[in-house]
Amino acid sequence: MTSLKVFIIARAIALIPTILILVTLVFFIMRVLPGDPVIAIVGMKAPMERVVELKKELGLIDENGNEIPLIVQYVNYLMKLVQGDLGRSLIWGKRPVVVEIMEHLPATIELAIAGFLVSLLIGMTLGTIGAGIGGKVNSAVRVYSAVAYALFIPWIGMMLQLVFSVGLKIFPVGGRIGVGLEPPTYTGLYILDSLISGKIDSFISSLKHITLPAVTLGLVISGVFSRVTRVSVEEILKQDFVVAARARGLPEYRIMLHVLKNSFIPILTMMGLQLALLMTGAVLTETTFSWPGMGTFLLERIQYRDYTTVQGTVIFFAIIVSVMNLIVDVCYAYIDPRIRY
Amino acid sequence: MYKSFHGVGKIVAIVSIIIALIIGLIAGYFVSLSLAPPSLSTVTVAQATVTTTSVKTITVTSTVGVAPERIVIGVTDKVSDIDPANAYDFYTWEVLTNIMGGLMRYTPGTTELEPGLAISYTVSPDGKEYTFKLRPNLYFADGKKVTAHDVVRSIKRVMKINGDPAWLVTDFVEDVVALDDYTVKFILIEPVSYFPALVATPPYFPVHPAYKPEEIDSDQTAGGVGPYKIVKWVRDVELVLEANPYWWEGAPKTKQIVVRFYKDATSLRLALEAGEIDVAWRTLRPTDIQDLKGKAGIKVIEVPGAFIRYIIFNTRIPPFDNELVRKALAAAINRKAICDKIFLGTVEPLYSMIPKGMWSHKESFLEKYGEYNVELAKTLLRQAGYSETNKLKIELWYTPTHYGDTEVDVAMLIKEAWEGTGIIEVELKSAEWTTYLDYTRKGLLGASLYGWYPDYIDPDDYTSPWVNTSWTGYAYSNPRLMDILREARTKPTIEERTRLYEQAQDIWAEDAAIVPLFQGKLTIATKEGIEGVILDPVMLFRYWLIYKT
Repeated sequence: MTSLKVFIIARAIALIPTILILVTLVFFIMRVLPGDPVIAIVGMKAPMERVVELKKELGLIDENGNEIPLIVQYVNYLMKLVQGDLGRSLIWGKRPVVVEIMEHLPATIELAIAGFLVSLLIGMTLGTIGAGIGGKVNSAVRVYSAVAYALFIPWIGMMLQLVFSVGLKIFPVGGRIGVGLEPPTYTGLYILDSLISGKIDSFISSLKHITLPAVTLGLVISGVFSRVTRVSVEEILKQDFVVAARARGLPEYRIMLHVLKNSFIPILTMMGLQLALLMTGAVLTETTFSWPGMGTFLLERIQYRDYTTVQGTVIFFAIIVSVMNLIVDVCYAYIDPRIRY
Repeated sequence: MYKSFHGVGKIVAIVSIIIALIIGLIAGYFVSLSLAPPSLSTVTVAQATVTTTSVKTITVTSTVGVAPERIVIGVTDKVSDIDPANAYDFYTWEVLTNIMGGLMRYTPGTTELEPGLAISYTVSPDGKEYTFKLRPNLYFADGKKVTAHDVVRSIKRVMKINGDPAWLVTDFVEDVVALDDYTVKFILIEPVSYFPALVATPPYFPVHPAYKPEEIDSDQTAGGVGPYKIVKWVRDVELVLEANPYWWEGAPKTKQIVVRFYKDATSLRLALEAGEIDVAWRTLRPTDIQDLKGKAGIKVIEVPGAFIRYIIFNTRIPPFDNELVRKALAAAINRKAICDKIFLGTVEPLYSMIPKGMWSHKESFLEKYGEYNVELAKTLLRQAGYSETNKLKIELWYTPTHYGDTEVDVAMLIKEAWEGTGIIEVELKSAEWTTYLDYTRKGLLGASLYGWYPDYIDPDDYTSPWVNTSWTGYAYSNPRLMDILREARTKPTIEERTRLYEQAQDIWAEDAAIVPLFQGKLTIATKEGIEGVILDPVMLFRYWLIYKT
């Protein structure tokens, strides 16, 4: 077995304790927070009998009205979890958590991909320009990096809405697609689904709807990428192989390709690290643009103390981020043959 | 050395220009789309086709604009369960009212009841039996005939599931039977003079047999007997309603209603300004309402709402067990400042728990304490043993988001008004809603702010729920008040009931254990050309009455 395969298997196994720690933390933190989930569900007017009944139903108290110890609840939860059962939501129809997640996940993935692409496009282009031209342009890119990273998503989102939605009426204020234009579901990603199904109206509508949220999210994250790219390209440009390449008379575009490939390791590292920021940013972006994704979903369920859904969602996020980081690590080895595990 | 890499710079510049050109082209395309005159390819077209049941089907063919037969409503609320057996929030009740109906209903624009699915009803001499006669032409949205057995099945289902709003049935109804296909008889536990108002609430709505008989069916879209049927439902995103061809009252004025769900008030307002929605409904912020009032092409409609805000003093916690302290605090509230400064006139001062616009409303608190009566407050506090050197120290609790982000300002102004006496020192404390409810139920809060949306439109719903009940964490109890309320519940005429509720309001002001603050107005903003918007204290927006001109 190659060292890379061993590494991948080891990383995959290491996911288990990571997720277990997260599950444990979320389980207990949610329960030590003040605020009774049952009261949150039934509201202030419900009679006490209804509260007791629901507590029994949710496994918080036993038939005699005695509280079930937290540790017993935790073990019960883990037992279900290993069977792949994330449980059912505590509110609104008590639907399976997996179903709830699957309903919201495609929207977030679509936004995250689009935001990520925008951030890479802006960040890497500016970073390369800054490092390549140098001087005042380089300083300007440096300032841009700092400003972009400090941008507050709801503010920049609202500014874009005011200019492009209310003022110019080019893009919609919020939502994912126009009324009655949802494409048939293949992947859950509207842009892709509308292309697969050949629905041009849906494609244009979903593209228009995703533009402002993706630009908002992308702008903020692009600050990091422009900075990393700029620094990395600057470093590589100083290296001997670049001088040697020029001395051999290689065309500039080929030299630049080598420079970019060699600059890519720190950028790739940053991509992995930005995934978490992408998810956090998605919460704010989704709220600003009424984007029906995981961010707003999770926030809302935390407010309602929907334990099972929050736990399930966190586990899901943990798996996604871990797997993405694993992919990034594997990409290192592909890009830089010197890296082996 | 790298500064000599002009070649690299050139390549990067060329790549950048190409990218900029591509972005420019895409942006230009979108600009051209939005600026181009309406054409078949850019404007939504409603294509009507006649089906075998003569129902018009709307086929949407494009994205931008709104079809003439469609009205788009934006809200920041959520739909909880599309099941009257468990839905217990105002917005879901509104949706249910548009896709279902009750035996009785409110005449639009009033708080008067009128027959809905029933033609008439009779009451037995002892007031314990209500017999409703159904209309003969009732059908569900799929054309299935509705009989008295459907009414009985639906109400028994609510009783069996025993969800959040079930008490509106189970606290009053002992049994319900179908005497024949068109007659339903309710046997009550005890006489209740406002029973027709209860029958107008969603737990009494007949539902389609597709609803699961013994469990909550949150996403069931089969509906009941209402002006609209649900044709599409994506939770938290979009609800599409289409005219129910079988509705007993004939076709609604607009064929298709689309409800779009926004995450916050700012997005809702911007969506109206951008022309994406025709109506911005619940809930715009006071500042947004003020701004929208001056905008061309937008109408703002305001009517009194039945939503009230109040303070509870826990009479089991010192110093609120002292009646003089409670009275002093009641006298030193500056309601007008709250209404004008924070809500910019979008709410109005309230001096009784029974809101303005409802029969029997009496401004007992104004009569007894006046408006921001600092001198009276000082006198009462001195009688209670407090002074400038021995100040009354209290905590005022509020919850920062549940009643909107203006809540902290409300608490601040109350604190300011109380401290304006020079004898009170107030510490503000807050907790998120779930925690706040938890503390409330456990009776831990001395003075705390709350709001109330009515379950049914009757003075009883603004009085009885606080007397001798435990949900507020303590039981405000006054035997005389309880007797009066009990009597008012059973008296058959409004005149007799009015007299009793007026007495109750005076006792309420005298005890000052629960003090009214202000009453909400309902505000809706629409595009010019949207007509038929009728709002009233019932607070439900009737989609079937609105239309475009």
